[in-house]
Amino acid sequence: MNPKDWAQIFAVIRLEIWKTLFSRRSLWVYLLAFAPVLLYLGHSIYAPREQARLAGIAAAHPVSTEVLNSISNGMSNNVVIEKLGEPYHQHAWHHRIEGGRSNERVIYKYTDGKSDFTFFFFNGRLRHIERSKPETLPNNLLIFATIFRFYFLRLAVFFGCVGIFTNLFRGEMLDKSLHFYLLTPIRRELLMAGKYLAGLIAAMAIFATSTALQFAAMLWQFNGQTAGDYLAGSGWGHLISYLGVTMLACAGYGSVFLATGLLFRNPIVPAAVVLLWESANLFLPAVLQKLSLIYYLQALCPVAAAPDSSMPPLLVLLISAAPPVSPATALGSLIIFTLLVLVVSGFRARKLEINYSTD
Amino acid sequence: MNDDRVSFDNVSRFYGEVLGVNRITLSIPPGITSLVGPNGSGKTTLMNLLTGLVRPTRGQIQVLGVEPSEPRKLFRLVGYSTQFDSFPRGITGFQFIHSFLQLFGHSAAVCTKLATQAIEQVGLTEAAGRKIVGYSKGMRQRIKLAQAIAHDPKVLVLDEPLNGLDPLVRAETIALFKRFAAEGRHVIVSSHVLHEIDLISDRVILLSGGYVVAEGQIHGVRSEIQEHPMQVLIRCDRPGALAAKVFAQDHVVEAQRLADGTGLLVKTRDADKFYRMLNQIALGDIQIEGVAPADDDVNSVYGYLIGDEEAAK
Repeated sequence: MNPKDWAQIFAVIRLEIWKTLFSRRSLWVYLLAFAPVLLYLGHSIYAPREQARLAGIAAAHPVSTEVLNSISNGMSNNVVIEKLGEPYHQHAWHHRIEGGRSNERVIYKYTDGKSDFTFFFFNGRLRHIERSKPETLPNNLLIFATIFRFYFLRLAVFFGCVGIFTNLFRGEMLDKSLHFYLLTPIRRELLMAGKYLAGLIAAMAIFATSTALQFAAMLWQFNGQTAGDYLAGSGWGHLISYLGVTMLACAGYGSVFLATGLLFRNPIVPAAVVLLWESANLFLPAVLQKLSLIYYLQALCPVAAAPDSSMPPLLVLLISAAPPVSPATALGSLIIFTLLVLVVSGFRARKLEINYSTD
Repeated sequence: MNDDRVSFDNVSRFYGEVLGVNRITLSIPPGITSLVGPNGSGKTTLMNLLTGLVRPTRGQIQVLGVEPSEPRKLFRLVGYSTQFDSFPRGITGFQFIHSFLQLFGHSAAVCTKLATQAIEQVGLTEAAGRKIVGYSKGMRQRIKLAQAIAHDPKVLVLDEPLNGLDPLVRAETIALFKRFAAEGRHVIVSSHVLHEIDLISDRVILLSGGYVVAEGQIHGVRSEIQEHPMQVLIRCDRPGALAAKVFAQDHVVEAQRLADGTGLLVKTRDADKFYRMLNQIALGDIQIEGVAPADDDVNSVYGYLIGDEEAAK
């Protein structure tokens, strides 16, 4: 590599990056990336209001958490009212069954000012208790970790990279404008490197910005003291780790989809296969699990997403903790994999031909 | 290999089972060379092979001693205006040329200077700031030509460059080709509009079905076609007497009086002998006013070589 090579690579980056960041094709990538930011913002606006509402109700209908926790399934309506007093909200309805009889269902709602308790009665007996989780920082960090793994890495970054990187070559073949690059005195490998770096910079800018904004939006609902203490402790470390994982995901998936754009006429099919592999590999033996990017990306996430009993089984499966692998091994594996895919793409780029009629 | 030539050595290219070009051996010197043939005859494949946009299935190509698999060297020598009428989205004519030149590793100032010069040469200065999507067909042809000449190449490869140009711009463009050729550069042009080729070519390469059917200077190619007698139009005062004299020659196969009675159309198998004989006749009592070959053009040659139906495509 000499200075002229770098000048050519920078020229390709300059030309490609604007196309990638500001083309109409990129709109849905922005939507994928920034949808969670809107969700966190919405939640940060809603959560304090809900807390204030519950605190207000608790003042009018005071019940202690200990007493609420003492209620168990099988108790009658009367016993519950005897222990807790009148609920702040109740609702009853009857369901007619055979023989002129009917079933009675009743819902009572109580609050201790932090959580909402909902008691479901069936024919006068308590059948089920639902308790909303209090808006605590640890709970929100867990939700963030879950959404980051389940939605952001597996779907947003994945499909965003499909959109950005497959278009670097395939999009220009469809537009019949790739030949202009091939009529310049630039080595095809350098062209590929320039395009990859442009895609990578664009993807990192979009998705890392989204990660940072999600993090900020998630913390927004907490007072300055709580957020400050967290950041002073492990907070900044968590944010840097999430940003690092986001960037590594862009690099890894980006290399895969750059290669599919070079190797396949319709990159959607291989993208679907990769998605299936990345999602289904949890069902595979441990050795095969290691042949996926998500395995190593999850290993680098700072907070383990712990499934709980209220989650759908599929979600529980998808966020199951990956078998342990050291951060160094995960980082090394991701970098080596990315470089290998880029080398293969470089060889393919060297043999690239312009034959638009068949593309 | 000769370093001032564009050479194809037994080059074939197949697209799967489909033949692109087959067993092409050529050595093209500087000057204007035209690739002539109907659609599908292999003109574009030959140009794409020359510029490395496709690779040969077998054989070797060299452009002034450089192989097309070395883009770094090749595209400092070669400029190619392709047949593809498509451009990067949303850019102006100037941005198109400027961004193309950036990939040569030039500074922004040099790119601006070269882009301005190239756009001026093709007469698009006023439209340079407009988006290409709003250009007419002729303007798009010219901006492609500007892209091909912007880096001052020694070999200019142009696929159907005169398509869509109005007569004035066509004349200017042909003058540009001639200027390039006069500077000792290669100008390789493809066209299926045969009369254009006559105007501009130093030599022609006739293609049909992926094969080279003839090559060389158009008049030389014509004279090599023995099975098709050459037609010569003679204007004279006594066409009947002239017909009697020329029929006495065994190489003359037909002599036909013109309908207006002002001359004769003669078909001969040996043009040289015929012209020598005509010189002697001119010394006699028949007044010869003019002599001109009637089928010594690309159109006739192409028709003779590959059949009139193919030539008409």
